[in-house]
Amino acid sequence: MLVLVGLSVLTFIITRVAPGDPAALWMGPRASAAQIARATVELGLNRPLPVQYGIYMWDLVHGNLGVSIETHQPVLNNIAAYLPASLELVTSGMLIALVLGLPLGVLAAMRPGGAFDTLARLAAVLSVSVPTFWLAFLLQIVFFKDLGLLPLAGRVSELVTVLEPVRHITGFMTVDSMLEGNWTAFWSALQHLVLPALTIASYPFGLILRMVRASLLDVISLDHVRLLRALGQKRHTIAFRYALKNALPATLTVLSLTFAYSLTGTFLVESVFNWPGLGNYTAQAVVTNDYPAVMGVTLVIGVIYVVLNLVVDLVIAGIDPRVRYV
Amino acid sequence: MRWRRLAAVLLAGLGLVGLSACGSAGGQAQPKAEAAVADYASYTQVMVFWDPSDSYSNEIIAMPQMYETLLRYDPQTDKFIPVLATSYEKSQDGLTWTFHLRHNVHFHDGSLMTSANVKASIERTMQRGNGAAYIWDAVKSIATPDKYTVVFHLSTPSPIDFAAASPYAAWIFNTAPLKQHGQNWFAKGHEDGTGPYELQSWSNGQPLVLKAFKDYWGGWKGSHYTKLVFQTIQSSSTRAQMLESGQLTFTDFLPFQEIQSLKSDKNLKVVVTPSWQNLMAFFNTKKKPLDNVLVRQALSEAFPYQEVDQDVMHGYATQSRGPVPLGLWGHDPSLKQYHYNLSQAKALLQQAGIKPNTLNLTLTYTAGDDNESNAAALYKASLAQIGVNLTVKPMPWVAQWNLAKATNPAQRQDIFMMYWWPDYANPYSFLFNLFHTEKTVNFNLAYYYNSGFDKLIDQANIDSGVNRSEAVKLYDQAQTMLVQDAPAIFVFDEEHVRVIPKQMHGYYDNPAYTNVVFWYDVTPN
Repeated sequence: MLVLVGLSVLTFIITRVAPGDPAALWMGPRASAAQIARATVELGLNRPLPVQYGIYMWDLVHGNLGVSIETHQPVLNNIAAYLPASLELVTSGMLIALVLGLPLGVLAAMRPGGAFDTLARLAAVLSVSVPTFWLAFLLQIVFFKDLGLLPLAGRVSELVTVLEPVRHITGFMTVDSMLEGNWTAFWSALQHLVLPALTIASYPFGLILRMVRASLLDVISLDHVRLLRALGQKRHTIAFRYALKNALPATLTVLSLTFAYSLTGTFLVESVFNWPGLGNYTAQAVVTNDYPAVMGVTLVIGVIYVVLNLVVDLVIAGIDPRVRYV
Repeated sequence: MRWRRLAAVLLAGLGLVGLSACGSAGGQAQPKAEAAVADYASYTQVMVFWDPSDSYSNEIIAMPQMYETLLRYDPQTDKFIPVLATSYEKSQDGLTWTFHLRHNVHFHDGSLMTSANVKASIERTMQRGNGAAYIWDAVKSIATPDKYTVVFHLSTPSPIDFAAASPYAAWIFNTAPLKQHGQNWFAKGHEDGTGPYELQSWSNGQPLVLKAFKDYWGGWKGSHYTKLVFQTIQSSSTRAQMLESGQLTFTDFLPFQEIQSLKSDKNLKVVVTPSWQNLMAFFNTKKKPLDNVLVRQALSEAFPYQEVDQDVMHGYATQSRGPVPLGLWGHDPSLKQYHYNLSQAKALLQQAGIKPNTLNLTLTYTAGDDNESNAAALYKASLAQIGVNLTVKPMPWVAQWNLAKATNPAQRQDIFMMYWWPDYANPYSFLFNLFHTEKTVNFNLAYYYNSGFDKLIDQANIDSGVNRSEAVKLYDQAQTMLVQDAPAIFVFDEEHVRVIPKQMHGYYDNPAYTNVVFWYDVTPN
């Protein structure tokens, strides 16, 4: 709670001292001085800053994040629309990264210095160093333009939007279309998810591979693992069943931080793939000094960080019997 | 065994991804298309203002599909097309305007449109005072002698036909839902107009989808688009690729390099039309030495007009003649232009007593606009040749504007570069907003206060409500005064360059309605 209050104060101060005129943004680019002056009063911007902050916090505890200066819609509604889209994208990307990175990291650690290990490390370095927007463009050119296999951008095709729209239940297009039995929309959503998810997956894939490999190399050299080898256990059994558990805590911690960061840090990917996510919304809010939106997103992401850290701590406690919370 | 299970899950996942790639033709799962769908992608947010009284932003591209005005202006013929009004007349003194409404027009909720709705719409817009509500400033009262007649009584003559055809502040809508649901009903994402298309779906982050209004007064004979999709796609590369692949029907803006790459596509065509958007650079006439007309004329002679038109705008612009753009009535094709002439510029500076390398100026422009950036860079290089040092400063629009309105005039910029386009088809929209004396700084960013000029354009505006040719004479005189006083560099009149599918027929880029496609008039095939 203290973290969130501190965050709210800091963000409020930064957004309010940054140059810009929210009232002018609210009224549109051609508003007259009189219209802007009127909007300044209507938005409460003429009040002292501590009063404005107090009003904002009072509204916040009543579930009101204010109205976006840019979109003219309640910030809560905006976030409720964009956050699930980002969650769907980032979750898919993280799953791909985990499913590929984890076993490859283990396999690389099983024979350090070998050909597979070298290739895996090269793949990891490439995947963390390639600019994501460049990768996004490359995937579009190859899979859309040249091969015609996957769509260019968006969450579903326009025809599905128009003729067989999916009702918003969870906000995850793939899940909602399945729940409705709308299989045309489901396949369209899945196809549209592939390229942006692969792009998002590239950085955490390299991170996970390297972290798992490094952690396993430390664990594999320990006595209890050598004992297992001496008892005749197979290498892959030792790696996946025994040693991996020791490597997971650090990996999960980094993964959770990367996940939370990606919710807003992937605005370039969202822009290239026209994915209506929180990253794009936040970037636009920052550029236009849409302070209610900036504050709303900051607080929501702050809550997500706190919740994710808690979840990871609990998972680690489940995996590692040495960890016990009082 | 566990790792085998893990491998099996991995393979199943990859298989699912692979299957998804093997969808129907074109790599996409598609429902059977029973509708002709037009897909319009804008580079910025589509629905900013949902309220038709307040509308003053990019929602202009969607509003004319859901709402209608009394008239529509056609610059090609310089005539008004009847829309919700079938005819109109004005009194000889220009103080009474009578509009006769079309019969049997329905709102999207099914109710009949009458003169009471027209009166309620415009009065609400006037009362709220947002957006371009000022276009109705001359209206004293609105009478409705019968169900299909609306009479505007004015305090001073004013061209009410142009106001009634404006893309802002002139929409006719049903006010009944506001009484039931509150004044914020529109703002929450609702509409109730008479337009050919009605709202099908919209929510935050989702495209705006409109469907054909089956009871539209114009009927649906012939070939029409039956669904419209408006979405925001910020990446110009994505918009260009979608145009190329046929997934997009129209986009409002593409950079020149994308246009060049699409020119050779056999399924697309490039349409070039004059717009009413122009670029100007305003001198701070209240700051020394820019308060000296000789200095302003010198700086006007040092601007590389042709280089900017050809190299920055790729030939899709022409040097302006004064502030009223080509194609808008009131534009004077014989108005004097300054020409790039460095020796003349040097001579004028010398005459003004300015020694070389002593004059330092700051020019501000809107950050992110490549054309302004390049034009400013060329101007800087040109001024350097005559010993004038120009600092070029890109700024976010709101910050740029705030600096120009700084309470301490010494803090303000020397030259302010910006575009302008009219709220409605009236030269007064340029001349009043940009050069009329202001008590509080708004858009007269040359701080040009000339009572003689003010009198000319104010009288011209009154005359335009009675006798347009008299108004044109006064506007000519006012513009001649402006060019002589040189409070701004009139850089260029821009052209709109659109890339559209070859099979799209009936599209006309009307400069009075910037970026608007009247989809009802466009034939899909």
